[in-house]
Amino acid sequence: MNGAIEAPTIEYGQLMPMLLVFGAAVVGVLIEALAPRYLRKAIHVPVTLLSLAGAFALIILQAVRDGVPEQASAMGAIAVDGPALFIWGVILVLAFISMLLINDDDQFVAQAAAVPGSPEEEDAVAQGGAHTEVYPLALFAIGGMLLFSSANDLLIMFVALEVMSLPLYLLCGLARRRRLLSQEASVKYFLLGAFSSGFFLYGMALVYGFAGTVDLGGISSALASVGGQDSLLYIGVALLGVGLFFKIGAAPFQAWKPDVYQGAPTPITALMASGTLVAAFGAVLRVFWVALGNLDWDWRPVMWAVAILTMVVGAILAITQTDIKRMLAYSSIAHAGFLLIGVIATGDAEQNSGSLSGILFYLLTYGITTVGAFAVVTMVRDAGGEAGHLSRWAGLGKRSPLLAGIFAFFLLAFAGIPLTSGFFGKYAVFAPAVSGGALGLVVVGVISSAVAAFFYVRVIVLMFFSEPAADGPTVALPSVGTAAVVTIAAAATVVLGVFPQPVLDLADQAASALFIR
Amino acid sequence: MGETITFWVLAVVSVSAALGLVFSRKAVYCALMLGVVMLSLAVLYAVQDAPFLAAVQIIVYTGAVMMLFLFVLMMVGVDSSDSLVETIRGQRFWAMIAGIGFAVLLALAVGQAAIGDPAGVTGANQRAGGNVPALAELIFTRHVFAFEVASALLITAALGAMVLAHRERTRPRPTQKDLAKARFVSGYPGPLPGPGTYARNNAIDMPARLPDGSVSELSVNRVIARHDVEDGRLPDDPELAEAIRQAAAEEEEHNASIAGPKEDR
Amino acid sequence: MEPVEIIQHSGGVIGVAWLMIALPLLGAAILLLGGRRTDRWGHLLGVVMSLASFAVAVLAFVELLGMSGDQRRREIELFQFIPGMVDMGLLIDPLSIAFALLITGVGSLIHIYSIGYMSHDPGRRRFFSYLNLFVAAMLLLVLADNYVGLYIGWEGVGLASYLLIGFWQHKPSAATAAQKAFIVNRVGDFGLAIGVFLIWTTFGSVAYGPVFQVAGQAEQGVLTAIGLLLLLGACGKSAQLPLQSWLLDAMEGPTPVSALIHAATMVTAGVYLVVRSGAAFFPVGSTAALVVTVVGVATLLAGAIIGTAKDDIKKGLAGSTMSQIGYMMLGAGLGPVGYVFAIGHLITHGFFKANLFLGAGSIMHAMNDEVDMRKYGGLRKLLPVTFVTFFIGYLAIIGFPLLSGYFTKDGIIETAMHHSPVLGWLAVLGAGITGFYMSRMVFMTFFGQKRWAEDAHPHESPAVMTVPLIILSIGSIFLGGYLVLGNTLANWLAPAVGGPEEPIEFHFVTTPGIATLVLVAIGAAFAWMKYGRAEVPVVAPRGSFVTTFARRDLYGDAINESLLMRPGQWLTRLAVFFDNRGVDGVVNGIAAGIGGTSGRLRRIQTGFARSYALSILFGAAVVAGALLLVGNI
Repeated sequence: MNGAIEAPTIEYGQLMPMLLVFGAAVVGVLIEALAPRYLRKAIHVPVTLLSLAGAFALIILQAVRDGVPEQASAMGAIAVDGPALFIWGVILVLAFISMLLINDDDQFVAQAAAVPGSPEEEDAVAQGGAHTEVYPLALFAIGGMLLFSSANDLLIMFVALEVMSLPLYLLCGLARRRRLLSQEASVKYFLLGAFSSGFFLYGMALVYGFAGTVDLGGISSALASVGGQDSLLYIGVALLGVGLFFKIGAAPFQAWKPDVYQGAPTPITALMASGTLVAAFGAVLRVFWVALGNLDWDWRPVMWAVAILTMVVGAILAITQTDIKRMLAYSSIAHAGFLLIGVIATGDAEQNSGSLSGILFYLLTYGITTVGAFAVVTMVRDAGGEAGHLSRWAGLGKRSPLLAGIFAFFLLAFAGIPLTSGFFGKYAVFAPAVSGGALGLVVVGVISSAVAAFFYVRVIVLMFFSEPAADGPTVALPSVGTAAVVTIAAAATVVLGVFPQPVLDLADQAASALFIR
Repeated sequence: MGETITFWVLAVVSVSAALGLVFSRKAVYCALMLGVVMLSLAVLYAVQDAPFLAAVQIIVYTGAVMMLFLFVLMMVGVDSSDSLVETIRGQRFWAMIAGIGFAVLLALAVGQAAIGDPAGVTGANQRAGGNVPALAELIFTRHVFAFEVASALLITAALGAMVLAHRERTRPRPTQKDLAKARFVSGYPGPLPGPGTYARNNAIDMPARLPDGSVSELSVNRVIARHDVEDGRLPDDPELAEAIRQAAAEEEEHNASIAGPKEDR
Repeated sequence: MEPVEIIQHSGGVIGVAWLMIALPLLGAAILLLGGRRTDRWGHLLGVVMSLASFAVAVLAFVELLGMSGDQRRREIELFQFIPGMVDMGLLIDPLSIAFALLITGVGSLIHIYSIGYMSHDPGRRRFFSYLNLFVAAMLLLVLADNYVGLYIGWEGVGLASYLLIGFWQHKPSAATAAQKAFIVNRVGDFGLAIGVFLIWTTFGSVAYGPVFQVAGQAEQGVLTAIGLLLLLGACGKSAQLPLQSWLLDAMEGPTPVSALIHAATMVTAGVYLVVRSGAAFFPVGSTAALVVTVVGVATLLAGAIIGTAKDDIKKGLAGSTMSQIGYMMLGAGLGPVGYVFAIGHLITHGFFKANLFLGAGSIMHAMNDEVDMRKYGGLRKLLPVTFVTFFIGYLAIIGFPLLSGYFTKDGIIETAMHHSPVLGWLAVLGAGITGFYMSRMVFMTFFGQKRWAEDAHPHESPAVMTVPLIILSIGSIFLGGYLVLGNTLANWLAPAVGGPEEPIEFHFVTTPGIATLVLVAIGAAFAWMKYGRAEVPVVAPRGSFVTTFARRDLYGDAINESLLMRPGQWLTRLAVFFDNRGVDGVVNGIAAGIGGTSGRLRRIQTGFARSYALSILFGAAVVAGALLLVGNI
């Protein structure tokens, strides 16, 4: 024995936003255990919202007061750099507004253990049962997202992947209506998620075999020093990529997205479509830019193919969808493809920071619009819950023009029409991609956008130029939370579409120093 | 030398056990095969100077996880096997192609790599003064955050199990008196007739005959009856066959009421 | 004297000049989004926002007054609008602030007036939200420091105008009129858009400062092209020939709209555009400037002639508006001296025409919304306030000595006379016709015997309507003299648009001036003979072909129809034919192809997790294989 182990140093100050979220989740579990049933929600709501807001405030404080750390924190496990802080901020904003949706009554099952349609379930509904566990679960997922996007080694990235995904698997199965669909979605997500995690883990093992380290910076330096084992590296990179592509829903790993988005409770869909995507892109950037930045010559062609396939599959398959949530899921796949264009457009430091800033801005604009769109979906209801089928949306513009107008606006933002945030988002990603030599991809991106615009416009036409069905869905009077979400999202979509400069500047600033290693 | 021999022996054992796991039709066999794979892995760890990992592998995986697995299998019913009929055209074929292709790729890649002499863990163990201290140093310094964050995973798992499985009581627990009352109200206060009573066969799926000679469909398990009908194992006696069909029909009805209408996709 | 340099500015009231636009825009947003909840107080909010905007304009004006002449062009930066191309900012200079004062000042008065006028309309809140939207867009149009900002405002006022003309959309005539206005304006807007594109490709910028600085170096042909394209835009918005036809129909909108948009402010946007771009694209003696003057004179005569034959009081006023804007256009084509009188006339016209329109509204209010002057008569006793104010407006517009119109219109005529006697005399003739048709209007309405419909019970309007009238009529009396005498306006505008070397002297006794007065007097006397003293038939007599010509708006619609619409329809049909056969075939083919692909691809989505897992495995194998391949090449 040669002495005690030196105690690790953990920069609690830098990690505080994440620790606050995890802490609030643990407090949430304690509330579940100790607080009387009727009080739980009343305690959960402020704890959850305040922790998210507090974490956001801490990020601002960190950025303003202490500046961006230049070294990885927690013994090199976590990199709290400029992009990480920006992504954290985006995730927390999106999580906060998604949480307002989750707050809504009538979204989650009264008694998950009761068999769907059984007398027990009816009893539970009649007694107003509710799973307030969704609050701590969602907080764990959000904490996982924060960790995932800032992981500085593959090990912690894998743990974060699981911490983020496990609560989401669960939450997916807790829809109040159409429970079988929801449970099916949950099981599918779980099985496929586990499958893809397996690929990630295997890839990690192979990369460790190559580099002898799981540290992202270490892998980067091993690229230059280790020879003769390149084939290990390539397979490892491919498998790591599979795990990450699955999370962002890139083709051909996108199959789960429509099923899961459709089945999950809509507020959870909103959280997944916004927060998970943002976090997963954070991780993609770290793996492919930080660890494998010097290998870009090798992974770029493959990424090209994946990006093209993703955009094309997302845009084309969306056309024949008849369910609004499935359509939004395919749209999310197409958007993941657009974002991959930014990931591919690497070059010198200036080029990289341009691409990165574009991606960061796009993530923010897309995330907010998505949450808004799903919030609208929660409001259009008929007897059986949300009216998902597109034919039910016919003539909505005549019945409630304001809501339909806002939804149309969100769709236009997805399509990237000028004066919406989506336009500048696409512009911010495509412009550096052109200068980075990915012109072909941008052309495919623009064509896919045009195809995508077709089905967005189709919904708009359906809403405004079709006769409403006689027994069409009603638009539920929104709760304060839902109304706030729609308002915030619409306002952000307008403001970022007309007046994007401050946020673009912020993204530029966050991206200027790139990632730390 | 000893290590090499152990490796090749255990490699054969564990790979064949893994194949058996995949191809066996009986769940208990699968579970036991999994146990074999885990045990061989444990031995391999031990041989490679990682005693802590070997112990954990046996205690946690083989001991705890495997046993839990077996318990669950026993509770669900060892005989309930899933239908293994593949309904998707081409699924098996393409799965085979993809699986083999992937395996070939892996083999090629690993075979192509010029892997130098393995460093092993001996050196690391010596530096830290033993395998356990070496592991501890890694876990509590470099990877301390991953270690701590894993707790979030465990909490989530526990919470998730509660959410999915714990059933809140929605109506008061029936007392002994309630149960007795219900029993008499049901019109059948005694125990149900056992199968095979007054019958020529004593099989569990054959309905009983009541003292008056009539057939009681109450005496057959509905699930078994359904299987009988599905597999066409009905008795020759038309009366008995009718009773089994009726029980099976009840089961179908019950299932349909639970499943609800199938959603379109 | 050349226009002075533009100075970057921050702080002070000018630094927050964007509030002028933001406040009414906010008002419009609240009213539109707030829905019925805001019905009760919506109109008040509209008025408050407009007044607040006026207050900011006044404060900015005062701050500008405090600066010396060569400091008075202030530019404030707002944000980067299209990165690398357009930096959105506001240009606060004497020209734009004059417009801002007019828009917010007259706009506020009309807001207040509308409280009374629209009090019984169920859509009052919507009406005020559109009005606020209009004020915001119009302010953006005049305050923007670049052509793109101007264009956005330009489209914005077009939209507001469309919404307001068609405000009573349940009337088919209103709906048609709104569409007509929209479509005709599209022609002009298209010209403006191409003009702005051309500016961008020629100069690499769309901001006024850089463009005007280097405008002189561009090729003459390009400059002329830009000038003519901008003029096309101006013709559309300001109802100048050949795009005049929409304005008369636009009178279907509520009367306050006619007063605000189709008399006082929006229709003068074309004049603003020409004056703003004057030094660069319409220098004196250039082809573009010549075309401007020709268009101006042609329109001032056409409008006046149309005005003589209209029995609808609002359409008569609309013809007069066309005509007066023709004067402004004429002035705007005559260089710095012309600019001063054009802007002066624009401001005074804003007052007296708003005064006349609101007076007409007040009369209609009293007469059950009757607009036919043949069914008026003898109203001066019953509507004393309306009569007096209307009469003042009348005197102002015909150029009665020492009233507002006298100074500015005679200024334009005299400047034109210097420039080219032909133009000058034609303008004098126009003034004579103005004397006739405006007198006719006054006599038919307020004098003579009653020719009312049986259920009409005329009464004076409430104070909320008459007070704005009184304020406007005071402006109609004094504003012209104040602006022109002593060179107030010329000195004020000089930093923005340049000015003559010597101060402009206003001569009270000149040949054209006297000729104008004589002609106006003859016109008025003729009107008195025909409509004041003689009995006016309730049903319009058939009249000569000249009358018919004028009644039919000089066959403007017929010309449009036979020259443009019919061939247009043929062309469209032809295009549709080919489109169906050829283009649509290709487009439909692509759409069907994509749809079919989508349908086939969709089958891969079986819904079975194992099939998804297979696709993942396949994907993994392909990705791994591809990476190996790429890596080993």
